Amino acid sequence: MNASLSPDPSPARGRGEFPVACLTNISKRYRVGETEVEALRGVSLEVGAGELLALTGPSGSGKSTLLNLCGLIDTPDAGERQVAGATIDGLDETGLTRLRREKIGFVFQGFNLVPVMTVFDNVEYPLMLLGMPPTQRRERVLDMLTRVGLGEFAQRLPDALSGGQRQRVAIARALVKSPLLVIADEPTANLDSATAAQIVDLLHQLASERGTAVVVATHDERMSGRCDRVIRLTDGEMS
Amino acid sequence: MKSLLFAWKNVLRNRRRSLMALLITAVGTAAMLIGGGFALFNYESLREMTARDIGHVIVAERDYFGGDEDVPMQHGLSGSDEWAQRFGSYPEVRAVLPRVQFSGLISNGDKSAVFVGSGIVPEAEFRLRGPQMNFIAGEPPATGAPVPEVALGNELAKMMKASPGSSLTLLATTTEGNLNAVDVVVKGIVNTGVPDIDKRLVFADLASVQKLLLTDKVGSLSLYLKDIADTDAVAARISAAQPQLAVRTWLDLAVFYKAVKNLYNRIFGMLGIIMLVIVLFAMTNTLGMAVVERTREIGTLRAIGTLPGEIVRNFVLEGAVIGGFGAFLGMLMAAAVTVFLLFAGIEMPPPPGHSNGHPLYINFSACLYAIAGMLVIAASAGAAWLVSAKAARKPITEALAHV
Repeated sequence: MNASLSPDPSPARGRGEFPVACLTNISKRYRVGETEVEALRGVSLEVGAGELLALTGPSGSGKSTLLNLCGLIDTPDAGERQVAGATIDGLDETGLTRLRREKIGFVFQGFNLVPVMTVFDNVEYPLMLLGMPPTQRRERVLDMLTRVGLGEFAQRLPDALSGGQRQRVAIARALVKSPLLVIADEPTANLDSATAAQIVDLLHQLASERGTAVVVATHDERMSGRCDRVIRLTDGEMS
Repeated sequence: MKSLLFAWKNVLRNRRRSLMALLITAVGTAAMLIGGGFALFNYESLREMTARDIGHVIVAERDYFGGDEDVPMQHGLSGSDEWAQRFGSYPEVRAVLPRVQFSGLISNGDKSAVFVGSGIVPEAEFRLRGPQMNFIAGEPPATGAPVPEVALGNELAKMMKASPGSSLTLLATTTEGNLNAVDVVVKGIVNTGVPDIDKRLVFADLASVQKLLLTDKVGSLSLYLKDIADTDAVAARISAAQPQLAVRTWLDLAVFYKAVKNLYNRIFGMLGIIMLVIVLFAMTNTLGMAVVERTREIGTLRAIGTLPGEIVRNFVLEGAVIGGFGAFLGMLMAAAVTVFLLFAGIEMPPPPGHSNGHPLYINFSACLYAIAGMLVIAASAGAAWLVSAKAARKPITEALAHV
């Protein structure tokens, strides 16, 4: 396992200086029972460093599919992908995993924290995968938790936190390794309005500071309204 | 270290389920250790019994162990005193006992019966055999008594209506092929625990038997060693130095020991396999449920960059943690049973063909404990690998959508 991160906080990358993710003419079909569903039809997308991009659209429009393809956790039927400067076609599962490990962070709608790990451990985990030395990890995790306002909750278990706090932990986990790209799937869906606004601001602020590109799938207009760019999908196509 | 801590925390997620798996593992381990310890005790007892009976190393004339003799002592060993002195000087040797096996008829005047006798040096012989030779009446015969003295098996004594002090006559074929007889006095009655042997058994002092058979040869020399572990070395040394002699170890002649060991190895080996399979099933069930419950978590960990092999490793660690604690608890249970039996004085019933039972003991063997522990941990880890390997390779999007 190779740590390819510079010491945190990493130097901020300029907004839009280079494309972090570039998807060209992507198509994806699913089979649901006997029916084949065309989730994406020739969609192309480019996300620049430090950019906060929202994918909106009704349920079934292909937001999550496009998000999964950006995050390299799904494969397209057609089209080309370049993420973090690497051409994805031809990478095997290990190569994809290593790319996600080093370059991509995830924030999920349901927080998806590991319940037996403390807040500290959850945030530390991606750094452990990178093989970072313990002292460096500790320093970076505590700094990240302070930035998301959870410094004093480091030793708590996720179950002891509110929804907003858990999502902050999830954001900390996604950003602690200073990824080039963060994928956020409905990060405010389970939160009340005030908390959702805080989460959006936090994500925006941290992404800008670090030059991290963030792609968010959302129904939430409070979220999309604060993004740099909004792409609307309808029936698997950009509208 | 942190991985182990997470494995432990995951084990504690569903405590009741983990506890059940741990208890099944513990009982399986204990069963293996108790069964194995019982087999080891029997092996040791039989080894000791056999070695006490025939000696650790047996030396005779080259053709002696072939069995066929036209006349008694045809393949007897001459110059036994010199041989005994020579072998007795080996540092590993505790004693060298000459023996003559003979057979014939024993009579009380009214009734005769076939006997199978041993000409021995009684004082040394009975001292070395120790508790194995159980005198139920009288005492061992003595060498050089005015009238030759014998000890009889209890069944033969009953048949001859003999008790200590009774006079009997032994009739045997001499080395020249003639019949010869000698009057003897019954000095003691022994019980070997095997009725078929006790029906025929006669012990007489060596000089009287040689006189009866008209020979100065002995059948064999039994070497008793200070440490049974030296058996092969001493046998090899004698074979190399005296190629004209036939040398056998106790193990070469221990037909019963080998048969019992063979049988017990299969029985307790099968028991061990069954226990391991039970452990495997228990762990598969427990960890299989854990894997299903944590499918979404597996998807999350995969998404953030955990390799399938690392996911599997985490589950294998969990399996090993449960297996390790279960094995440790099983070892404590087995050790408790071992100690309990040491003081409980529980008797096993006599084996087939025997008249005496023996105490039920279980041997403690560090090697057995280590092997059983490792097998149980390996089975638990293997079960974890089986159930998690497929889940770790499930498409991430499917795993994340798992409810």
